[in-house]
Amino acid sequence: MASKFWTQGGSDTEEEETDIEDEIENGGAGEATAAAAGSRYLQANASDSDDSDGQKRVVRSAKDKRFEEMASTVDQMKNAMKINDWVSLQESFDKINKQLEKVMRVTESDRVPNLYIKCLVMLEDFLAEALANKEAKKKMSSSNHKALNAMKQKLKKNNKQYEELINKSRENPESEEEKFEEEEEEEDEDESGSELEDPSQIPESSDEDDEGEELDDDAGDGAWEKKLSKKEKLMDREFKKDPSEITWDTVNKKFKEVMAARGRKGTGKFEQVEQLTFLTKVAKTPAQKLEILFSVISAQFDVNPGLSGHMPINVWKKCVQNMLVILDILVQYPNIVVDDMVEPDENETQKGADHDGTIRVWGNLVAFLERIDNEFFKSLQCIDPHTREYVERLRDEPLFLVVAQNVQEYLERIGDLKSAAKVALRRVELVYYKPQEVYDAMRKLAELSGDGEKDGDETKVEEARGPSSFVVTPEVVSRKPTFPDNSRALMDILVTLIYKSGDERTKARAMLCDIYHHALFDEFSIARDLLLMSHLQDNIQHMDVSTQILFNRAMAQVGLCAFRVGLIAEGHGCLSELYSGGRVKELLAQGVSQNRYHEKTPEQERLERRRQMPYHMHINLELLEAVHLISAMLLEVPNMAANSLDVKRKVISKTFRRLLELSERQTFTGPPENVRDHVMAATRALCKGDFQKAFDVINSLDVWKLLRNRESVLEMLKAKIKEEALRTYLFTYCSSYDTVSLDQLTKMFDLSDAQVHSMVSKMLVNEELHASWDQPTRCIVFHDVEYSRLQALAFQLTEKLSILAESNERAVEARIGGGGLDLPLRRRDNQEYAPGTGGGGRWPDLSYNQGRQGGSGRTAYSGGGRPMALGQASRDRSSGQSRGTGGYSGRSGSQMDASARMVSLNRGVRG
Amino acid sequence: MATYDLTPRIAPNLDRHLVFPLLEFLQERQLYPDEQILKAKIELLNNTNMVDYAMDIHKSLYHTDDVPQDMVDRRVEVVARLKALEDAAAPLVTFLQNPSAVQELRADKQYNLQMLKDRYQIGPDQIEALYQYAKFQFECGNYSGAADYLYQYRALCTNSERSLSALWGKLAAEILMQNWDIALEELNCLKEIIDSKSFSSPLNQVQSRIWLMHWSLFIFFNHDNGRTQIIDLFNQDKYLNAIQTSAPHLLRYLATAFIVNKRRRPQFKEFIKVIQQDQCSYKDPITEFLACVYVNYEFDGAQKKMKECEEVILNDPFLGKRVEEGNFSTVPLKDEFLENARLFIFETYCRIHQRIDMKVLFEKLNLNYEEGERWIVNLIRNSKLDAKIDTEMGTVIMEPNQPNVYEQLIDHAKALQGRTYKLVGQLLEHAQAQPAR
Repeated sequence: MASKFWTQGGSDTEEEETDIEDEIENGGAGEATAAAAGSRYLQANASDSDDSDGQKRVVRSAKDKRFEEMASTVDQMKNAMKINDWVSLQESFDKINKQLEKVMRVTESDRVPNLYIKCLVMLEDFLAEALANKEAKKKMSSSNHKALNAMKQKLKKNNKQYEELINKSRENPESEEEKFEEEEEEEDEDESGSELEDPSQIPESSDEDDEGEELDDDAGDGAWEKKLSKKEKLMDREFKKDPSEITWDTVNKKFKEVMAARGRKGTGKFEQVEQLTFLTKVAKTPAQKLEILFSVISAQFDVNPGLSGHMPINVWKKCVQNMLVILDILVQYPNIVVDDMVEPDENETQKGADHDGTIRVWGNLVAFLERIDNEFFKSLQCIDPHTREYVERLRDEPLFLVVAQNVQEYLERIGDLKSAAKVALRRVELVYYKPQEVYDAMRKLAELSGDGEKDGDETKVEEARGPSSFVVTPEVVSRKPTFPDNSRALMDILVTLIYKSGDERTKARAMLCDIYHHALFDEFSIARDLLLMSHLQDNIQHMDVSTQILFNRAMAQVGLCAFRVGLIAEGHGCLSELYSGGRVKELLAQGVSQNRYHEKTPEQERLERRRQMPYHMHINLELLEAVHLISAMLLEVPNMAANSLDVKRKVISKTFRRLLELSERQTFTGPPENVRDHVMAATRALCKGDFQKAFDVINSLDVWKLLRNRESVLEMLKAKIKEEALRTYLFTYCSSYDTVSLDQLTKMFDLSDAQVHSMVSKMLVNEELHASWDQPTRCIVFHDVEYSRLQALAFQLTEKLSILAESNERAVEARIGGGGLDLPLRRRDNQEYAPGTGGGGRWPDLSYNQGRQGGSGRTAYSGGGRPMALGQASRDRSSGQSRGTGGYSGRSGSQMDASARMVSLNRGVRG
Repeated sequence: MATYDLTPRIAPNLDRHLVFPLLEFLQERQLYPDEQILKAKIELLNNTNMVDYAMDIHKSLYHTDDVPQDMVDRRVEVVARLKALEDAAAPLVTFLQNPSAVQELRADKQYNLQMLKDRYQIGPDQIEALYQYAKFQFECGNYSGAADYLYQYRALCTNSERSLSALWGKLAAEILMQNWDIALEELNCLKEIIDSKSFSSPLNQVQSRIWLMHWSLFIFFNHDNGRTQIIDLFNQDKYLNAIQTSAPHLLRYLATAFIVNKRRRPQFKEFIKVIQQDQCSYKDPITEFLACVYVNYEFDGAQKKMKECEEVILNDPFLGKRVEEGNFSTVPLKDEFLENARLFIFETYCRIHQRIDMKVLFEKLNLNYEEGERWIVNLIRNSKLDAKIDTEMGTVIMEPNQPNVYEQLIDHAKALQGRTYKLVGQLLEHAQAQPAR
């Protein structure tokens, strides 16, 4: 782009040359002035080096000498530049760097001399020119060419450390270089001024500059605002002179100029926005206005300093307004087509409003909209959620929804359904996590602010500031979002559109949002069906991280939903995976969890921070933990009681077991404080069959107030606790009883006859309890088939023997190559069986592999992505239970079954 | 009892003509007012060509001899169209009616087409006309004609999509003519096409499966071997998925088939899980009965549901098929169902009890004492039940059947011994073989 300036024509370059010559003259002849200047420098900059008067003279002369050397090197460079000799330029550059070191040492200051910085600026510009000028590059000799490339890299590396200074010197060279004031003024105009003004067009520019300097002197380097006003004045003057004179051409030329400056160092980002905004007002045709508006928005995006920061909020709002204006134009002039596939004709925008036939304008609405959404998201990530600012920011959401809605409508109208689906997804992602109450609040807010007072004012002010624009665009598209009564309806509309015409990723994300939303509204079966039918569990590992997070969120929400509707096992299945790694926060992107064993690189940390969910979208972690632990308790306590002889066998929730062990190891248990303590206290009560106490402890958790239908959930929970208490009681004490009467049980656990009967019957049928009913007396009669300790040990012995036999077989087979034995069949069994008894020899192995596969960043998320144990309720009958039964159906002993089951369960979970 | 009537849910998945038998049945059972049914029939007929029939119904509905003008007009139109189609298809029809000419057709489709074109000047247009004509015949209610023509058409047609719809038409015609054996063949043929990988879109496939299952109800509950086959078809994963996602009401028929069919135990367990899962999306007394017996073990509830099931079966057009025997009619399926259901309850009940009061038991089974005792004695005699009756106490006592711990231990150890011996033998063999080499 820089070439535009440099290659304007022969006369310009001549001018340039004379400039440089002037400088050389000055530099060469004016030693005296340089020396004088140098002293001024020293006084200003290196005051700390003035130790004593006597030394001062010596030092000064040394300094002067260094500066002289440097100046002469600069001259050499200038000469080299003139003849385009990169080889000598490179040499000089190395030289000057060495000299710089000396100078720095001599002056003992950390401030780099301006001379050097100026030289760098000069070099950089020249380099840019040389690179841009391809023809000249071709003509270069090979050594010259090589030197050019080497120079390019060196300069880039070198300039990085002085970046700030260079920028400063580019922005306002005059403020720092008073000594070159006179000669430099013209050059100044050429360099920085060229972006805005053609010197020939504005004769009064020198006055302007003086004024500007004054301002700059006052405000120092942060003076862009004032400068901006100056420049605006300039613009105004330029165009105000006589509006009738302004033609499409002038505007277009100006526009091109401004655009050419984009991204160049020294171009103020805000200024550019201002200039472009001004241009929109003087645009001659709607198409031109549109084109410029697109650039305005791009420029507004440029304002954002980096990836981690967010766009200033006022700029964001203006951006949104601009989008709306764009839509106004597009709706008003249906013959204008926005397209980013083909580079449109140079003069396409010249065609006026009355032109019939399509006018193509370059731009991409969807990309802009997505960017706006991202910026909104980022701003919410950055703002402290506990401040008023955050709430204020949240109020801007309807603004975005308006734009999104309008863009979507526009796209649907022109038949671009694929893009419309993308936009719809953005809308879905703003709505899906909102419970009905929040949704209603947003609707109300939208209606209130939708009256458009604030928005209207803003646009009006803007319009009024400049001269009234040539192309007036009435507000055609509505400035008010329309929402259906409930969020489900909105979701349905959007999601249907996406399913019909979205691409794979859009569809998957929409599906996850849909699942989340269903789960939020307690529709477990629908959410489950969607989850299973979409097969998202199977291929979520192959998706991007943000989608995986969404998947984890949906999973967590489904788990909560299952719990609320009383499906404890399903709920546990959904949540246990999340908690298995102990990094829920990370999986849900709700905060950074510290891991003792695994230090994160700053890079990873930054990435992770960028993924965080804004606070208002969080799933309450305490509630989640409570739900997870309570479901684990309800499943695990009777399970432990049933397998009391060998506790290690058949673990449902490892996390829960570990916590329980920890709490049992404590010598003194205080009153429960956090969620974990509460559940542990409840577990202790439940183990003894004391359902009332267990329930009371759990009831005292204050996370329950987060539930909408708190009463009914607690009611359900109480019933479940009673049931499990009954089961636990029976398991624990069945060996002590010969018969237990039904009436006694009903009284003990405050359950109805039918309930107890049904529960006990279930246990009998599943052979969890070796007993049977005696109907006439309404008693449970226990059969004495529980193994005694001796018998149990005997079983364990046989089991171990069989392992021994197997390993023998394997050894023999390895030796003699498995001939006559019927090994193939048995070997298959072995594989099912061996790891389970070998103390889980397979476990660490597996997880290690997984860790390696995923790579460092991915592991965290692939954890949540694995298919969940929902397989039990799944239609996909190949996973989960059924596979488990397949593995060991051939075995006869019940003991062996159990061990085999553990393995298969693990495999079921692992997928 | 109209609450459990599935006609409104089934009808959308059937052909218009197939709905008639259902309506006839409902009319007979008097579940709905006659008027409503007659109106529904006219609605149905409006889009078919059976105008005469519609006129009759209209007359009986409004008790007049006048017929609305539009019906008369339509009749004229239909007749005219019939003539036109007949003319168009005439060359091919005459060809097909000539037995000696038909002899010339061979298995090779391409050859046939060429031959027809060369010798009889019958091209694709005529063949297409045959299809239209057959379709029209079907709509007029002339099913046998339609079935014949469609059969011929399929032999000649090259368009796979057309061929498929001809097959559907054939199936419908055969069902309406109650040729169950042929219909079953067509059904299997259709199923193969649907299950083939080349079938258009998955969505389309699911929809076709659902139609197929609905249509097959006619066949399975009339064919002798249908009750096994319905399980074979419906219980396939793909079909079961389709049922669960789009037509859970079909679970009723599958459940009934499972109850009536005793030899399907392994699949039955899986099916219970499905029922448990889908309780929220579909429920009727039959599935609830299964849930009571196998999920919740509520025997009182099961007994209540059993009574309701009886009603449901009687009022279901497929399940409640009547057989006339002399001067009174019975519903064979109902008796079979009740017998089996009773057995189900009893079986489960016995498994968890060691002593049962017979009076309570018979109450649960809807039996009187004498009858019940005989029933149980029969069960014991056929060694279906390991139990004894204690008349003094009026109880049945189950024999415990717990495996002995020692036996189990010995079993394990024995297997080990065998394996070790084998291993040693193997080693020795190897050792002997080595020096020889």
